[in-house]
Amino acid sequence: MNRRKFLAILGSAGVASALGTSKVAKAGGGTHTWPYYENSYGILHDTTRCIGCRNCEEGCNKVNNLPKPDNPFNDLSVMNKSRRMTPTAWTVVNKYELDGKPVFRKSQCFHCNDPACASACFAKCFQKQPNGSVTYDDSQCVGCRYCMIACPFYVPSFEYDDAWDPRVVKCTFCELRLKEGKLPGCVESCPMDALTFGRRADLIKVARARIKDNPDKYTDYIYGEWDAGGTAWMVLAPIAPDVADKKHSRIETGHEFKELGLDTHLGNRPMGELTYGALGAVPMIVAFWPVLFGGAYAISKRREAIHMAETEAIVRETKEDVVNAMDAAVRKIAETQGPGAADAACQAMADAMKTREEACAHCGHHGEDK
Amino acid sequence: MRNGTTLLLLAAIAVAGVAYLTLWEPSLAPAAPALTSVSDAPSAMVIFPVGEKPNYEGVGMKPVVFNHLVHKNRVENCESCHHTGETVACTTCHTVEGNVKGKFVTLNQAMHTLRILPQADRNTPQSCVSCHTKQLQKPKCAGCHSIVKPTRSEIYCNVCHSVTGLTKADIVDGIAGKLSDERKAELAANTLKARKNPVQLQPTDGPYKVMIDDIADKYKANMFAHRRHVNSLMGRIKDNALASAFHNQPTTLCSTCHHNRLLASASPKCGSCHSQRANPDPATPARPQLKAAYHLQCMGCHKGMNVARPLNISCVTCHKESEGQSVARAAEKLGEK
Repeated sequence: MNRRKFLAILGSAGVASALGTSKVAKAGGGTHTWPYYENSYGILHDTTRCIGCRNCEEGCNKVNNLPKPDNPFNDLSVMNKSRRMTPTAWTVVNKYELDGKPVFRKSQCFHCNDPACASACFAKCFQKQPNGSVTYDDSQCVGCRYCMIACPFYVPSFEYDDAWDPRVVKCTFCELRLKEGKLPGCVESCPMDALTFGRRADLIKVARARIKDNPDKYTDYIYGEWDAGGTAWMVLAPIAPDVADKKHSRIETGHEFKELGLDTHLGNRPMGELTYGALGAVPMIVAFWPVLFGGAYAISKRREAIHMAETEAIVRETKEDVVNAMDAAVRKIAETQGPGAADAACQAMADAMKTREEACAHCGHHGEDK
Repeated sequence: MRNGTTLLLLAAIAVAGVAYLTLWEPSLAPAAPALTSVSDAPSAMVIFPVGEKPNYEGVGMKPVVFNHLVHKNRVENCESCHHTGETVACTTCHTVEGNVKGKFVTLNQAMHTLRILPQADRNTPQSCVSCHTKQLQKPKCAGCHSIVKPTRSEIYCNVCHSVTGLTKADIVDGIAGKLSDERKAELAANTLKARKNPVQLQPTDGPYKVMIDDIADKYKANMFAHRRHVNSLMGRIKDNALASAFHNQPTTLCSTCHHNRLLASASPKCGSCHSQRANPDPATPARPQLKAAYHLQCMGCHKGMNVARPLNISCVTCHKESEGQSVARAAEKLGEK
């Protein structure tokens, strides 16, 4: 391969890579990187109905065969402090205060339409399934926990206790039960229907109807309809009394969600859009940087080899020239002064050459030492 | 007869008591006019849909007979309704089409709107419906009315929009604003005389207790004190004129719990529609499962009426634990020890 051919290959590879990256970027701007599944399922969590009984936690524990917790599920004192999801508690109910009244909210994986965890995972462990669930496959997981950092809802938890094969753990939407035609464990065990299961599109209509029928009961916002690009699990919040009075003059919508520990500043585009472009370039970098730097190394090596060869040729030519000149000189001496003088001159010249070569070798040796 | 005297005495007292009540009742009735207004406002009046455009056919919504006396005594002051401070008829400014005097707030809006911007510099007006809707937030009403909202049906409109003995000539004149005050007073008096509140079903028409045992597994069946609950609800609104007027069907009060059906004395079981769901029902995602249907009704009403007891999370207040459950719990406790 010569230099020209190598550069040609490198150039075309660069164009291909640029095209690939721009395609990802384009997808981020207009369409979902994950397809939007029309008939996907979702769950509507109506916090005005939730009474904080923790039956959902118990149901989840039971259907997923999780280990028994330290405190029994009917111990409601655990709600006095905020809890997070753990590898053995895939959903937790927390108590919040809205104008002095307790409001309960269940936390679990929101099963985003375009999940941020999947966007951050370079091992492609997370998949958005057509039924709405975001599934995790541990077979390729390297345990980098980028997903835990990427998730805007702080959902994935990590089996820190397991030294040898720790996995990331989160709510599965009871995906296996869905496939059997059953309801998720938490929904089945809710005594208040604070969790409504259905097609996501239907649930949005249900939520809108509830807000319309009870404008003084609900905040006029469906959390998760658009937040973080839309989520399968959506939340309705009660309206704060002071807002109910000044309904028409209020400025900030959805401050109730902030009180419920839900971030209302996630934007309405998927988190992944911020990173898909940059992260999409990573495979390109991985693929082409060895070629690029390997090529540069090869070029410099080759140039060195050529230089060496050229130098050697010059040296050889010079030597031949010297030998030829000496031959010519010896022949001339033999012609003019006879063979004896030629032999003496020949001897003298050979000696001189030898001395010089020795001196050269000596200084060359010194040079190498230095 | 040793007890004869006592019996006779008791009987005499009873007769005297009955006589007192029956004889004195008519004399109590004239006490009502003590409420008469200080102002010259009539006690009842007819509000016609006064329009600016010529309306020779008399096409329009049925006029309303408004009992000024009753309403006057229930609001803070005249400005609550006469928001400009001038005690003039609503139709002076608010006409069917709306005009510049009424800031283009039409008569329909002035009477019915629920969306009223609070006024910073002057009196915030209110409409008939906005004020009536506000009444539903009273604890005695809020139980049912946090679950059901009044249906805006023809029957609902008729409560106000009905005038007895109205002729076509009256309507044409009334809309044009030319009907004589005498005729108006006559119409109003006739309507009020003819107006009768519907007779409600009585607590005794329903069962005394109802056994709710469809789902009993973890907990025992619940014996629901049906009559006690109906009694309590009816007792609270017994003297409420607004409720009496708008609960316009014999079964209106029943229809909070026994909803979405033509009411008769026999009601279907809740489980007829609310299934004990184990599988998702894509057709009706919003319909609560049976257990939730019960809980939403009971807890929704109790919450609305500020009934402190029972606590939402205290299951055993309403449901006795089933044997299996208590045995399991006892075993668990033993195991812990």
